[in-house]
Amino acid sequence: MITILPADSTSASPDPSGPYYAPSMLSPLALERALSRVRKPGRYAGGEWNSVQKDWASVALKWCFAYPDLYEIGMSNLGLRILYEVINDRSDRLAERCFAPDVDLQAQLRLADLPLWSLETRRALRDFDVLGVSLGYELTYTNLLDMLDLGGVPLLAEERTDADPLVIAGGSSVLNPEPIADSLDAVLLGEGEDAVLEISDALQRMGWHRRLAATGEWLRGVARADALKALARIPGIYVPSLYRPHYGPDGTFARLESLVADAPPQINGRIAADFETNVRGIRQLVPNIAIVFDRAQLEVMRGCTRGCRFCQAGIYYRPLRERAPDVAVAAAQSILKATGYEEIGLTSLSAADYTYVNEVATTIHRLHPQATVSLPSTRVDAFTVDLVDAIVPGGRRGGFTFAPEAGSQRLRDIINKGVSDEEIARCAELAFRRGWSALKLYFMIGLPGETMDDVLAIADICRRILEVGRRYHGGKAQVKVNVSTFVPKVATPFMWSGQDTTAEIEAKVAALRKATHGRGLDLRWSDPRSSILEAALGRGDRRLNAVVRRAWRNGAHFDAWHGHFDYERWRAAFEAEGLDPAWYAQRDIPLDEPLPWDHLSCGVTREFLARDYERALSGKTTADCHWGPCYNCGVPAATGFECQAGEQGPRALLVRPEAGGIEQGGDAEAETETTKVGRWRYVGPPGDPRRHGSVVPSVDGGDAAAGDPSGPEGATTTWPYDLMGTKVQSKSAGLSGLASLVEAAGGESTG
Amino acid sequence: MSESKQRWRIVFARDDDARFLSHLDAIHLWERAFRRGKIPVAMSEGFSPRPRLIFAAPLPLGMLAEHELADVFLAERLTRLDLRERLTDGMPRGYRLIDLRDEWVGGPALATRLVAADYRMTLLGVAADPLEGATRRLMAASSLRREKRREKKVTEYDLRPLLIDMEVRPSDPTAGATDTPETAAAVLWMRLRNSQDLGSGRADEVVAAVADELGMAAIAAPGSGESEGEQVTGPDGSTEPSNERPALEMVRPVRERLWLVDELAP
Repeated sequence: MITILPADSTSASPDPSGPYYAPSMLSPLALERALSRVRKPGRYAGGEWNSVQKDWASVALKWCFAYPDLYEIGMSNLGLRILYEVINDRSDRLAERCFAPDVDLQAQLRLADLPLWSLETRRALRDFDVLGVSLGYELTYTNLLDMLDLGGVPLLAEERTDADPLVIAGGSSVLNPEPIADSLDAVLLGEGEDAVLEISDALQRMGWHRRLAATGEWLRGVARADALKALARIPGIYVPSLYRPHYGPDGTFARLESLVADAPPQINGRIAADFETNVRGIRQLVPNIAIVFDRAQLEVMRGCTRGCRFCQAGIYYRPLRERAPDVAVAAAQSILKATGYEEIGLTSLSAADYTYVNEVATTIHRLHPQATVSLPSTRVDAFTVDLVDAIVPGGRRGGFTFAPEAGSQRLRDIINKGVSDEEIARCAELAFRRGWSALKLYFMIGLPGETMDDVLAIADICRRILEVGRRYHGGKAQVKVNVSTFVPKVATPFMWSGQDTTAEIEAKVAALRKATHGRGLDLRWSDPRSSILEAALGRGDRRLNAVVRRAWRNGAHFDAWHGHFDYERWRAAFEAEGLDPAWYAQRDIPLDEPLPWDHLSCGVTREFLARDYERALSGKTTADCHWGPCYNCGVPAATGFECQAGEQGPRALLVRPEAGGIEQGGDAEAETETTKVGRWRYVGPPGDPRRHGSVVPSVDGGDAAAGDPSGPEGATTTWPYDLMGTKVQSKSAGLSGLASLVEAAGGESTG
Repeated sequence: MSESKQRWRIVFARDDDARFLSHLDAIHLWERAFRRGKIPVAMSEGFSPRPRLIFAAPLPLGMLAEHELADVFLAERLTRLDLRERLTDGMPRGYRLIDLRDEWVGGPALATRLVAADYRMTLLGVAADPLEGATRRLMAASSLRREKRREKKVTEYDLRPLLIDMEVRPSDPTAGATDTPETAAAVLWMRLRNSQDLGSGRADEVVAAVADELGMAAIAAPGSGESEGEQVTGPDGSTEPSNERPALEMVRPVRERLWLVDELAP
């Protein structure tokens, strides 16, 4: 069903000189032939609910969002759902979609000499005016080259002509887009909701869209080079071709030279103007085939101020903004109605930190008893076990996920993961007591300052948790331990820190395997060679463009997928270009060295990151600045946003009443499935009217709807994205559906 | 879980926008359509209740359809007009509502009453005349031995009793399948039996038998792979036949209609 678009009177200068250029679509027979020879053709067929098909002849500017990973991953991306609606809400522009074709379709396309097409109107990527590319993860760069190549777009920005689209990248990897910058015409730093409209306005004003001439040929109203210069004047836009990097004699990056006056020396990321009160992305795309996060999504909070020092997303999405609870509930209702989804995820980097999470979750639950409310990506402490307990149906509880990230207290202090062994154990006990028999724990190895003792402490704490589980579930208790390799991410305090060598990582994994041997403990670890590539591309400079293209020509693609990743191709590509991945990934960078990404900022200053790195090295933690003192990260100055810091957190103010609200037995047997969340007395943060004694709506014993609490647990492939499409360091935040990352929980509420 | 107060038989068609969906995907799609339309579907009993929506026969991935049947049980009574409006509101792209029939709630299960299905597809690589000859020979045969694969097990069966009728039709200009006019093309129509004892006839099996008869190799078409879209591929990842026989390609397979026991004269 085609979404009916509201007539729009706000269109910016709709070009009266239409009709516009409308190249031909892929023939139905060619489509049928290609799709009949591939697995899961539903990935490429389009036709999804809330997808929008517009008439090309009557629409000026054409976007295609090209997501460089499989449909199942890309369609799970909330950013795509939002921007798709934002563009398509306007009658004078359209947005279509394209995802990386799997290798079988790639072979068919090359065999039949067919271009990669957009899902909506089946046109080649080269036919669009703008390709919006989502770069959330370094290991998808080769997929982007696949898509450009198959879509008929030259790989190098400098080789593109007026006949080609502008390739504009966004997503958290663009904090350092240099290793792929040769293929990008422009980069949008920060949040896209407002910026894509400004970009569209600018392009349409200039006339970048293609008009149909009397001869039947198309013509643009502006030359490519001029369009790029104009884009560079939009805040948050970085046009790589307007700069040239210089390197020192020792091979380190020296400086970036602006080649034209339009190219600002420093680019700051955008933030959406009205996140708290305005929800974009209501008519969310509903896929026809199962995808990774197959549910509606409501982003309740953007940003995270906990300050984990390895976490890029926590820096990128500052300042922290929360949706007003009434806005969130109303939006959830609209989204459920518009999609027909049976499940809605309240998403954020740390959903349980959302001030109104309990109120919003329980209210949605009350209004839509059939719908499952889930809290993916919750970085929890305090009351989350209770909260998840309340919204996950009892009976068939899968895994409950915690992310302590490091095994020892010392190391957790270094990475600023403020949680103690006792809290982890208490939280685990609570989860076991509430019926979960399997816990999944996420750790990283190779963290800055790590010793073998810290690594072995992972085994200790897992054994301790397993003992607790056995008390409740006997031999059924299971602790799954997922260990990934630390990757230094740009724009984090750890960006200067070198990664362990592959040999060091392998030794640590071997020791951990030995220490976790035995029944009930299940250790999984990631390929350290994939991590070295991630780190090298993440901290790379423009010289790596040649490496990426060479590796791609050697056959590298889908590097994030176990079945496809081949380190040898990459090693050979680095060698052929005379570069060393270890130099990029494993070197401790001096704090005063210029960095290839210094000109790009999401607001957090390099000075703050360096200060925090030094605190880390001396074992000092940094408190969550949402409630603690301001550490002067630079975001308010850069964005003009005033952080609303409180003096104490809402979680400390959420208390259960002494009596009446809920009956909690002291022993496991007394707990029944019907024991859901009790009455929370809610007192909001300073300034919140609720502080003056009102009580939030409560839910009692509400029937949680059916739904698999463990989410796409069966997938053993790593899904290294969180819901904003950000690669998450710990691989924890965005994993399985309801599984929540609990780093600590107070056990007091069940006493 | 919830009592069924009403049973509606939905007659629907599926066109290009939804043809590459597996049966399982289609079920989820319909369930969402019911939720969007706020249709009070009754839920099944058991540990994990499902909406009581039952299709007469799974529609293979890639197959178009003109007259499919599904029964939906409602927990509250709705008028035909109301149900039609609600269904149309939430109906996914690619599905078209043709008719709604109020059925007796206690009637027998839809699938048990299905006796036959009509199919039509365009065959590329063969002209009408030779195809005509092949279909006559197949119809005249007393048995058609074919192999059935289920996972790794191969069993032999007789396709002939499942083939009720077959004929060559003038090519279908509305199908729009032939954008290569130099290629010979013909439309094959067939009626296949759906039997509780013998199983149901598969259109792609008939096409494969036709190809054999013509000394050609049938090219895997959408819907002819495994039911959930996992197509069997060769070691080189191709689905092309490896031998040298000329290819018989099936495009735009359509299930024209399903026949219930009392609709089809014996």
